[in-house]
Amino acid sequence: MTDTSNPSLAEAGMPFREKSAWVAVAGMVVGYGGYFAMVATLPHQMIDGDPPGMVLKLFALLTIATIVRLVILGAGTLAIRAASPADAKAPADERDRAIAGRSAAIAYYVMMTGMIIVGMFMPFTAHGWAITNAALFAIVVAELARYGTIIAAYRRGWHG
Amino acid sequence: MAKMQIVNNIRTLRFMAGEMTQADLGARIGMTRQTIAAIEAGKYSPTLEAAFRIAQVFGKTLDEVFQWEG
Repeated sequence: MTDTSNPSLAEAGMPFREKSAWVAVAGMVVGYGGYFAMVATLPHQMIDGDPPGMVLKLFALLTIATIVRLVILGAGTLAIRAASPADAKAPADERDRAIAGRSAAIAYYVMMTGMIIVGMFMPFTAHGWAITNAALFAIVVAELARYGTIIAAYRRGWHG
Repeated sequence: MAKMQIVNNIRTLRFMAGEMTQADLGARIGMTRQTIAAIEAGKYSPTLEAAFRIAQVFGKTLDEVFQWEG
């Protein structure tokens, strides 16, 4: 949604890269949100204990989640490209690059925190797919932090 | 100390330059129209180089386009 209270912003509309970030967030939330919702409903010992068949089941769920995410990302990207082809072709300018840099920096710290927890602490408390899922969750949270920062930077202003 | 902020006259200057669009101005200085809109709205402060480019498009000096006000 564009800030229509400001005539300058209303005239320009939403930046293409902000739209792309919204599409990416939708893909992540629907795809991996669904995956983690299903995993959360499984009995704890099934994931932690790696019973026979569980590896294949979780791998299948993860594959489906990834496909769902890619379909949403692909369809959404095609839709926003079709809606504003000139914006899609425009190269990133200094503001776009600054926002991309800031969002990547924030996501880096989120990812590092997640990987420290997963790699340094979880091996003493969990096993198998629980660790894999925690690592995947850290990646998803880091990506959401990146896209969230992009959206916030475009919407709330950038004075970095 | 009063909080200072950068303000600009780009919207007025565009109007005086034959109602130049944000997209036209953006194309001339290598920026997207949304970035021009963000600068006009005070939501983004351009680099010094971009500020000079904008002033050059309108044939103005930097301080005729941008001011630092409290």
